[in-house]
Amino acid sequence: MADIHLESLAHSYDPAATSPEYALKPLDMTWRNGETYALLGPSGCGKSTMLNIISGLIQPSHGRVLFDGDDVTGRGTAARNIAQVFQVPVIYRSMTVRQNLAFPLVCRRRQRAEIDRRVGDVAELLGLQRVLNRPAVALTADQKQLVSLGRALVRDDVSALLLDEPLTVIDPQLKFELRRKLKEVNQAFNITMVLVTHDQNEALTFARSIIVMNHGEIVQQGDPQTLFDNPRTEHVGYFIGSPAMNFLPAAQSADALGVLDGQLQVPMTSAMRGSDDLKIAFRPEHVNLGGEGHRVDARVKRIWFEGLDQVLELDSGGTRFRARLDDWRGTVGDAIELRVMDSHLRVFRDGELLEAR
Amino acid sequence: MKTVYLAIKYLAILLWSSFVLFPFLWAVTTSFKTANGVTGGATWIPWLQYEPSLQGWQSLFGGSGGTDITGPYFNSIIVTGSASLISIVLGTLAAYGLSRFTFKAGFIRNADITFFFISQRIMPPIVLAIPFFLLLRQLGLLDTLAGLILVYIALLLPIAVWVMVDFFNNVPRQLDEMAWLDGCTPMTTFYRVILPNSVPGLIVAGMFCLIFGWNDFFFAFTLTFTDTQLLPVAIVALNSSVTPWWSLSASALISVAPLILLAFVVERFLSRGGLAGAVR
Repeated sequence: MADIHLESLAHSYDPAATSPEYALKPLDMTWRNGETYALLGPSGCGKSTMLNIISGLIQPSHGRVLFDGDDVTGRGTAARNIAQVFQVPVIYRSMTVRQNLAFPLVCRRRQRAEIDRRVGDVAELLGLQRVLNRPAVALTADQKQLVSLGRALVRDDVSALLLDEPLTVIDPQLKFELRRKLKEVNQAFNITMVLVTHDQNEALTFARSIIVMNHGEIVQQGDPQTLFDNPRTEHVGYFIGSPAMNFLPAAQSADALGVLDGQLQVPMTSAMRGSDDLKIAFRPEHVNLGGEGHRVDARVKRIWFEGLDQVLELDSGGTRFRARLDDWRGTVGDAIELRVMDSHLRVFRDGELLEAR
Repeated sequence: MKTVYLAIKYLAILLWSSFVLFPFLWAVTTSFKTANGVTGGATWIPWLQYEPSLQGWQSLFGGSGGTDITGPYFNSIIVTGSASLISIVLGTLAAYGLSRFTFKAGFIRNADITFFFISQRIMPPIVLAIPFFLLLRQLGLLDTLAGLILVYIALLLPIAVWVMVDFFNNVPRQLDEMAWLDGCTPMTTFYRVILPNSVPGLIVAGMFCLIFGWNDFFFAFTLTFTDTQLLPVAIVALNSSVTPWWSLSASALISVAPLILLAFVVERFLSRGGLAGAVR
């Protein structure tokens, strides 16, 4: 268990090239002991590279990795005591489920009794008791992934548990249950957990701190609420929230910024001047049928039914946007009068959030 | 329709098996014949068509007009067995290294080293006859089992490396990485995780080594004189001005027996599902 510090860390898979392409651009960051993190971002944005550098499977081309201030950059994977679960289940085919779960402890030369106890605990936690004596190859894909996860959880002294999209192969019902169990483990043993995912729901429900990455860079780090309310870039706005944030290109006048034929207006500030890429953005969740806010008239183009809520695609003067409503009943083609909450309007200049508004 | 298909299938298998088994049948009948039985054209049924005799078999074990092949037989088992075993052990270690770690020596890379091993088998063996002869003479190992074992290791090691490099390249690297994460050193990763998953590869490599080693005549012939004889050399020595077809047939059957036995055992093992997928 340790604070993990990445110091001017960067990685290029071809560092000898004259202009190396970075899979991970230079960054400094700290993973606090006992915290839960979610690494969110599209495929190929450097998430897995970062995890593999922490666990030592990849040697970074630049910078250092420190565990509690101790430089481990040159140390092998085994010496770092990191548990990692990959997207694809990895099991030892020649062993039974029990032997698979016990393997990390056997490698550490633990006492027989202790191994039996811990394997029993983990099997109970993951619901694997009944298959303990079966050969691991005979399991289904999601059971195999549970075994992979079990091998990580059976160790109670790990520096961190890195989960590289481990829940992809697991069916949705079990996924929810597993996330809950992981949080339990996190609380019980104070183990740092990093979950890589491209499923924002998974990220938002699992982690206290969310890190959004894109093109090898950390775009924004914060708690779920901050990322939801104040996404730092358009990318984060698209990535967090379902459906994505509405970004509407704004028309500029002398003293105001307007969208939807001037139905939504924001006073012009000095920070907005001098750019022709200005957008007004708001969450579909911040659109209501009544109450406070700017009035917007629109026509319903599509409806997605989502249980209690409905997500509407709306058209106002040729501009499309989305709204999430819980008290509207109607059909495609209906005219609708909406309110957009003023306090939730955001202005993006050149793709980045303007803070002071 | 289905029965017709089935009939054709069985007919094809029947044809093929008789094609394969016919030489064995020929060898079996011939081994029980005498000079008279052999010269009278093809005959198959004992007592009716020819008078069976044990002369061919007796001559293999010190009977008249033959030699005792028990000694060479055990020599062959010792040389082939130990050379194959050593080759598999060394070859597997080398192959794992070549498959998983990066080696550099000037312009030489892993692929070049692997090719170097394979190139040993591309070269015609006769090229090596004189160097081996001189080397063994220097070491005082001509006409000894130890010398033959050394030479056979040199011949069999490339096969083992070749087969195992290919096999290890197909074992997912994630398995190694997982083992490191679970706390294994590279060495324990190899023998605790990778090796138990590589039994099919080891069997294939072992089969190749045993077959090549067992069947080699050339080096067994050029590097020995009278003290140490291997089976193929002893069999050829049975030949004389009047070809003793009966004892040659008997010796052919005896020499092929261990390989047939091996094939049966391995077939049983492989069909039991030793080759199922590794990850997922």
